[in-house]
Amino acid sequence: MLSYIVRRLFFVLFVAWGVTFATFFIAQVVPVDPAIAALGENAREEQLEEFRERYGLNKSKLEQYLIYMGRLISGDLGQSLRTGRAVAEDLREFFPATLELSLAAFVFAVLLGIPAGIVAALRPNRAPDVAVRVLALLGGATPVFFSAVLMQYLLAQRLDLLPVQGRLDGFLFPPPRVTGMMGLDALLARDWTVFLDSLEHLILPAFVLGMFSAAILARMTRATMLEVLAQDYIRTARAKGAVASSVIFRHALKNASLPILTLLGSLLGGLLSGAVLTETIFSWPGIGRYVTQSATSLDFPAVMGVTLLVGLVYALVNLVTDLLYAFLDPRIRYT
Amino acid sequence: MQRKFQRLASLGIVLASLAVAQDRTSTLIYGGDWSDLITLDPQVSYEFSGGLITDNLYETLVKFEGADLSTLKPGLAESWKVERGGDSWVITFKLRKGSKFSTGREVTAKDVVYSFDRAIQLKGPSSFLFIDIAQLKVGGTKAVDPYTVEVRIPKTASPGSFLSILTFNIGGIVDSEEVQKHAKGGDFGKEWLTNNSAGSGPFRLVRWDRGSQVLLEANPNARLKPKLQRIIMREIKEPTVLRTALESGEIDIAEGLTPEALKAIAANPRFKTLKADSLRLNYMGMNVKPGSPFANPKVREAMRWAVNQDELVNGLVQGNGTKIQTIIPKGLLGYNNALPYKYDPTRAKQLLAEAGYPNGFEFELLTSTGLCGGGIPCQDIAAKIQSDLAKAGIKANIKAIANAEALKIYRAQNHQVYLGGWSPDFPDPDGNATPLADFAAKSLAWRNVWEDATSSKLANQGSLETDPSKRAALYKLLTDYALKSGPYVILYQPSIPLGFSAKVEGYVRNAQGQVRFENISKQP
Repeated sequence: MLSYIVRRLFFVLFVAWGVTFATFFIAQVVPVDPAIAALGENAREEQLEEFRERYGLNKSKLEQYLIYMGRLISGDLGQSLRTGRAVAEDLREFFPATLELSLAAFVFAVLLGIPAGIVAALRPNRAPDVAVRVLALLGGATPVFFSAVLMQYLLAQRLDLLPVQGRLDGFLFPPPRVTGMMGLDALLARDWTVFLDSLEHLILPAFVLGMFSAAILARMTRATMLEVLAQDYIRTARAKGAVASSVIFRHALKNASLPILTLLGSLLGGLLSGAVLTETIFSWPGIGRYVTQSATSLDFPAVMGVTLLVGLVYALVNLVTDLLYAFLDPRIRYT
Repeated sequence: MQRKFQRLASLGIVLASLAVAQDRTSTLIYGGDWSDLITLDPQVSYEFSGGLITDNLYETLVKFEGADLSTLKPGLAESWKVERGGDSWVITFKLRKGSKFSTGREVTAKDVVYSFDRAIQLKGPSSFLFIDIAQLKVGGTKAVDPYTVEVRIPKTASPGSFLSILTFNIGGIVDSEEVQKHAKGGDFGKEWLTNNSAGSGPFRLVRWDRGSQVLLEANPNARLKPKLQRIIMREIKEPTVLRTALESGEIDIAEGLTPEALKAIAANPRFKTLKADSLRLNYMGMNVKPGSPFANPKVREAMRWAVNQDELVNGLVQGNGTKIQTIIPKGLLGYNNALPYKYDPTRAKQLLAEAGYPNGFEFELLTSTGLCGGGIPCQDIAAKIQSDLAKAGIKANIKAIANAEALKIYRAQNHQVYLGGWSPDFPDPDGNATPLADFAAKSLAWRNVWEDATSSKLANQGSLETDPSKRAALYKLLTDYALKSGPYVILYQPSIPLGFSAKVEGYVRNAQGQVRFENISKQP
């Protein structure tokens, strides 16, 4: 098991290298000058030259790549062309906001999607099943920019139940930064007003962001549960007189959980890579917004930094998913 | 135990909401897309949002007041004079006594010297204003006594431009002692000033939460006492959300609304709206290099007759812009309101026939895939122009690419016609006249290969003239000349759409984008 983990972690390094290589060379295909993108319409030739000089853009592509990799090995992600700060510092600033939002969306998706799928599978083609399927179809098909604006209009503007945007009311001070996740930091500082307010701000974006995942999860859970519930051993269990809940959760759900787990892993990975639209619409300062801004201003070090981070997150989530397989299914053993 | 906690919690919420209610009247929340913000250091910031904020953290020696950008008013300097001294201009400023920084120290001549030298040595994106345009050098600024500053710039630089540049945040005076205390390894305190302030402006910077908001608080030592205690600059990138946030009372001012939202808000008595002027010009630049159809002035003129400007401004731009045809925008000295070209495709055809194109011609219209001023996609403007030109027999093939890529082609003189925008680097007619009319400046006239001795000469004379009325006369000649023979079709001057809660008063924004926060108040 341990040697398996070590091997996989080694593989993660290889993935990271692949990510840097691909991103770097895709970036080079774009026929645009980052100096012009950074300095704009009015920039003078000398300013452009100075900028290229400062960020090493005059050097050959290969040289630039080697310099980048050299720095990366020593843990330096380079300097952002747009913000002028260390990319690592920018990521530390923006990633926790994405983490907070995507974890909340994930929890919401799991709590809603899986039970809905189970309920639907227990009574196929009856009212609850039809309701779940229709809702799942809606949830999966409604684009975020639409549902977000609709929710903002209904829940925030019309009913005045929740705030429209941001992570915290403008009149409140964020708690001292520990994790960068507003709610958690407020808890650590025991600042209840800020905690409750940050929770209020989290509900809408997490709901909107998690809706799609919840819909997919519900459908997947329903399908795999239906399949498992039709198996002989379920009939046997029922015939033996096992309690209904035990049949559903111990016999059926546990056996249906592998495909659901696979899906959970990729959903979480997707959520953590930053939700550009949700973050933009809710003015949520996460890496999704950061990376779009960086990409439009051709800020390659920043784009590389985010891609690398997202690549690593994906690889790690996958590793954890694979390890959980062994935990859930005794037939799977890693050596 | 649980009940006790609940009671405590609800008491806490009540107290907190009381405090919030009190805060609301003395706090202004200003929403807008501040995502371009990268630093709040006055000598480094050259982004729009950075300017808007730092202008209220730091005072400058001279400034513009209200919406007027043609008369300089005293700032930290109570008076100033410009004299000729050998081969240079000598500009002497007399500082006001008793102006104080937020740190409590008095503003003196040594702070001015430090701030100006700092701007040059930091080589920030706006430093070319001091280094290239004003041709100011380290050591060019001297403290004669604690309240007198003398600045020397070469005869070839324009003192008028220099004084205009000083109204910008690059001319903001920092507390030299405080900044030096935080300097690290020759960075002149740049890292520290990125998210701290040390100025004498009406506000001081409390905190900047990147991507969320910037919090300013009244500077207790300021000479200019603000009416509000706090300003919160809330970052909202999405225009529809900006509108919802304004309507639900989360923000007091919304900057950058869409034309539709502006209309809807104007109809609601709880709000008011403003179309603030900008100094931007949206225009087409025609490459006049030999061999190009645009080398013939008659073709250029035909283009100007063939664009239906009224329909563009009132239709597509929905009134978020002003019709203009000359090269110096409204709001600056030298603005020329001549509008000789009216939509007339027949006349355009006739001119084309005279120029040897009786059947019209075809060209590539280069533009950006992004937004042009007034929140309108450049491609939409290009499509409108394409259909206008077609009626005069001119076929425009639109090529819309990423902004930086389009600029790269334009800057290499490889375009035929470029559609885009231009904003002057500093609020002075020279910020447009030299780049648009003087080939040697290697800016827009150069990009369009318009090498014209008359326009270059007029632009140079205008830049060096110190007498305002003589200067205005020179710019009248220049703008008339460029209107007739220049390589531009000026389209419109976009405005910036703003919505306010009806309680907000005293908001004035000049065309350079400066807003004096100290004059804004809020009714309960």
